Amino acid sequence: MKKLRYSSAPSGEPFAFTDGESREIEAILARYPTRQAALLPLLWLVQARTRWISREAVEEVARVLGLTTAFVDGVITFYTMYNLDPVGRHELQFCTSISCHLNGAEELLARCEQKLGIHAGETTPDGKFTITEVECIAGCDRAPSMQVNDRYYEPMTAEKLDDLLATLAKEA
Amino acid sequence: MAYERTLLARIDKENSRSIDGYVRDGGYQAWEKILREKPEPASIAETVKKAGLRGRGGAGFPTGVKWTFIPKDTKGKPIYLVLNADESEPGTFKDRLLIERDPHLVLEGMAIAAYAIGCKRAYIYIRGEFWDGARILNDAIREANEKGYLGENLKGSGVALEIVVHRGAGAYICGEETALLESLEGKRGQPRVKPPFPAVSGAFACPTIVNNVETIACVPLIMNRGAEWFASIGRNEKNTGPKLYCLSGHVNRPGVYEAPMGLPLKELIFGDAFGRGMRDGRKVKAVIPGGASAAMLTPAEIEDCPLDFDGVAAKGSMLGSAAIVVMNEDTCMVRAARNLAKFFAHESCGQCTPCREGCPWLLTVLTRIEAGAGRPEDIALLSAVAKQMNNGMTLCVFADAAVAPVLSTTGKWPDEYAYHVEHRRCLVGARQEAFA
Amino acid sequence: MAKITFQDAVTKTVEVPDGTNMIEAAKLAGVEIPHFCYHPRFTVVGQCRMCLVEIDGMPKIQAACTTPIKDGMVVKTSSPKTKDAQKSTMEFLLINHPLDCPICDQAGECKLQDNSFGYGFQQSRYDERKKQYAGYSRTKIGPRVIADMTRCILCTRCIRFTQEISKTGELTFLDRAGSTLVWTHEGRELDNDWSACAADVCPVGALTVEEFRFRQRVWYLKKTPSVCPGCDIGCNNSIESRGETVYRYMPRLNPDVNDYWLCDHGRFLSESLNERAYTRPIARVSGDDTFPGWEPVLDRTVAALRETTGANVLALGSAHLSNEENWLLRKLFGDTLGVPNLDVVADGDRVRTMPSKHGWIESSGVAAANLRGARDAGLAPRAGGKGLEDVYSGAWTPEIVYVADGAFSRDADHPDRVAALRRATLLIVHARTENLLTREADIVLPCASLAQKDGTFTNRFGRVQRFERAMLPKPPVKADWEILLALALKLGFGDPGWNPLSIFPLLAADVPGYAGFDEAQLEGGLTMKKGLFVSEGGL
Repeated sequence: MKKLRYSSAPSGEPFAFTDGESREIEAILARYPTRQAALLPLLWLVQARTRWISREAVEEVARVLGLTTAFVDGVITFYTMYNLDPVGRHELQFCTSISCHLNGAEELLARCEQKLGIHAGETTPDGKFTITEVECIAGCDRAPSMQVNDRYYEPMTAEKLDDLLATLAKEA
Repeated sequence: MAYERTLLARIDKENSRSIDGYVRDGGYQAWEKILREKPEPASIAETVKKAGLRGRGGAGFPTGVKWTFIPKDTKGKPIYLVLNADESEPGTFKDRLLIERDPHLVLEGMAIAAYAIGCKRAYIYIRGEFWDGARILNDAIREANEKGYLGENLKGSGVALEIVVHRGAGAYICGEETALLESLEGKRGQPRVKPPFPAVSGAFACPTIVNNVETIACVPLIMNRGAEWFASIGRNEKNTGPKLYCLSGHVNRPGVYEAPMGLPLKELIFGDAFGRGMRDGRKVKAVIPGGASAAMLTPAEIEDCPLDFDGVAAKGSMLGSAAIVVMNEDTCMVRAARNLAKFFAHESCGQCTPCREGCPWLLTVLTRIEAGAGRPEDIALLSAVAKQMNNGMTLCVFADAAVAPVLSTTGKWPDEYAYHVEHRRCLVGARQEAFA
Repeated sequence: MAKITFQDAVTKTVEVPDGTNMIEAAKLAGVEIPHFCYHPRFTVVGQCRMCLVEIDGMPKIQAACTTPIKDGMVVKTSSPKTKDAQKSTMEFLLINHPLDCPICDQAGECKLQDNSFGYGFQQSRYDERKKQYAGYSRTKIGPRVIADMTRCILCTRCIRFTQEISKTGELTFLDRAGSTLVWTHEGRELDNDWSACAADVCPVGALTVEEFRFRQRVWYLKKTPSVCPGCDIGCNNSIESRGETVYRYMPRLNPDVNDYWLCDHGRFLSESLNERAYTRPIARVSGDDTFPGWEPVLDRTVAALRETTGANVLALGSAHLSNEENWLLRKLFGDTLGVPNLDVVADGDRVRTMPSKHGWIESSGVAAANLRGARDAGLAPRAGGKGLEDVYSGAWTPEIVYVADGAFSRDADHPDRVAALRRATLLIVHARTENLLTREADIVLPCASLAQKDGTFTNRFGRVQRFERAMLPKPPVKADWEILLALALKLGFGDPGWNPLSIFPLLAADVPGYAGFDEAQLEGGLTMKKGLFVSEGGL
């Protein structure tokens, strides 16, 4: 059920970097001998604000760095952490690699899917939660390990998961 | 018996990340000594060679030797040091610990290595999932800059060093050094053809050394306490120094443990200072000694298995990233192999034919077998396909890693596969029922 | 230099310059190392893993294309280990490849077919679902190229073409691992001046040319060396025909001109070679078409020319005609009949460029192949003579206008210009396709297409290149040089045994700069074959 990643969705709105971001871009460019090397950092910059990378953002990043749009597409579709569609407020990332797998990761993931009524790879209709199945995130000694956006929650249990979902659901 | 913590000496201290604490504990003294005395850079590589330090990222290549591969005449090209903080091998979490709890140890190691090879700007390639790690390293770099350990004309020595953190975005293959360099350069993380090797043409076509986090963390220790001290630790002169072992799976106390190179595997699993044996009184069934890419060991094979490069190699596997994953008797080996095959099928970069086509094929067959839809020819097919993917068939050794679980499980637990195919269900499950 | 030994069915040793790619070294030794992703003009990527070979002293199998050659190397190209590796790679390539051969244009020039036949195996062990690429198979990826990702073997030749040759960068890998495919940025197309070349380099039927789709099986196609009529760069191509139909142009390998490539504009002119409006000579009497045959119309022309003086005749050559034809025109009208009013014009066009091996080559901005040749042959008004502009401006009205190419330029469809030419008493036109001029002419002489005659063109830089005929014109249609020779013989010039091959030395002796011609240059590039083992010039 791995989702195909062939293009990012259009947002329907033009994308432009803010003045602050443009200054940050200058600082980023100064750290590398080529403009192309700033691609991953720039994509992170986009995603830091919009949480995903729209087609318009791809075209703007390509323009800023002097790359073809095809080249930027090749990069964003290769790396799993670049979101090609809008994601929910809380991106629930469940590791199911070997150590977590040995410690009940799949059961935890299934529980979350059942509670939220969506499958891994999907977002709840209210836009609050996205479930993602990820590979090893180096939390093996605290298996099963998971991340919500940029934070680790480990070791996760069924009870802790229920609490976590309830808490996150309440956030505005 | 617990061993003296050297790499992990500071990780439990309060505010272990701060530079003040690091300096107070003797940190950056080795770096300052170098800035003061400006020794011949080649002498540092000599010291590291004498210490017998071998790469702790998985390959085990002698670090001091690697540093000497930088050409004497780089024809005006800058030399780069790139820290491999992509730690993505399933079962591995030691680099994460060092970065999150003792970042300055890592930075000081980088500084010394940079001096040794003639590098003025170094990159830390850190996996995207290490959000905290990247923040912590950037904070530490800022502190080091403020205190004059990084930047220009350090301590009036004329030496300059800039360290830049570069975040990856979710690709295990970027732990392979040439794929890492591709990713650093802003491309898809697809491994390169070798030759040329990174020491000759690496980042931005310039001479480059790529080192693992733990390897680099050993460098200040070697400079402070001496090569002889480092070499005196460990099982023999080919396997030296303190080692971080990542223990996970069905043990009582998973975690990162520091011990001399060559710690017996059984002690790591059962020792009181280490794993304290199997949870819920279960028995060991299989052990991965060095990450998902390492051949699995049977209970007989874990007897008398020193956890060092040569010791594990002698058992037909590899120490790799020293990620020891322990599976108990309730584990279905087919299911475990299938889980690992899923990992490799997701993480293949897709460039070359045998890996791109072979990994999904292995996953599909394993999935069928596990689900009870296996065919009689499937088991032989798994081995045959796996053997068409390794030993030079592919552009990089990802495929060799991918087939290790398949070959070791089909070879060592053939009855489980046969049972799945014949009875369309799991042998372990059947035994549990029979027992109950 | 390095001596490499290839242990194949026979052992061959070859000495090659350092840095030669092993696949090229093998070709020089007459040994095939099968491959897909390697191409002499692209960076070496070592991805397809078809070229794996056993090398003495190296324990693991090695990719030939990425292994640097060393003096004394012994390469075992047909050892059991090598054969096993080849079979393995072929098996992996075929597990997801659709059984499309019966409907795939590439059949017969497909590297996958050939390498499978030569190095693969009979039985497939794969019994799972093949990968599907909904939305990315049998879909246009650009205006002239159709893509089918189910067939793609991900060799990246097309991507490297757009990155390294056309430098337009439209193509990329997307996603990774088993889901990887090749495509463009959503909303963009594979649309550059050489887009069909991406289909050329594709070793399978993943990228195919739309114009050729389902039209002909390639093993029926005859390949005839020719020169592109699109501009004055003079790209070398092959006319690929069966019977009387031209199905396509393919490039001929000429590193100094077009290298491995053809531009889309020139390539797709092939279809125009099949057009024909005129099949027999026409004499128009009071507005009605009559078909008296060659002798009467030629005799009428001869009679008219004899009744007047050269000053009253305009002889118009063409940048589309060969050197031989333009020279015959000048020799007959200019030298024999004393006509000082000779001329040639060509349409303008945008400047076209081709990536030769040694850098970009530009056309001069004309839409024809042989303006330079026509001018060199002497087709310009002589002292005291008049030209086409004088007729158009109305300053001069000739009695007889002889147009050796009815499609000489867009002027032939221009009402005012045709009207100016029509003021002549007798308007004679060689024609294949119809236009305003041919409809106005008194005499229409049906002439052959470029595929139906031999000759030479001279490109803008003075490079003289031969083109050959792929088929004979259907009688009574004649080649333009045949018509001019027939006319000339009646007027006391020429030899009945002449043909383009024998005319060229005469022309070379007569036209400054054409003596001492280089036979290799005349012949031009290597005819290229796709799929089959070729030591040189494989697509």
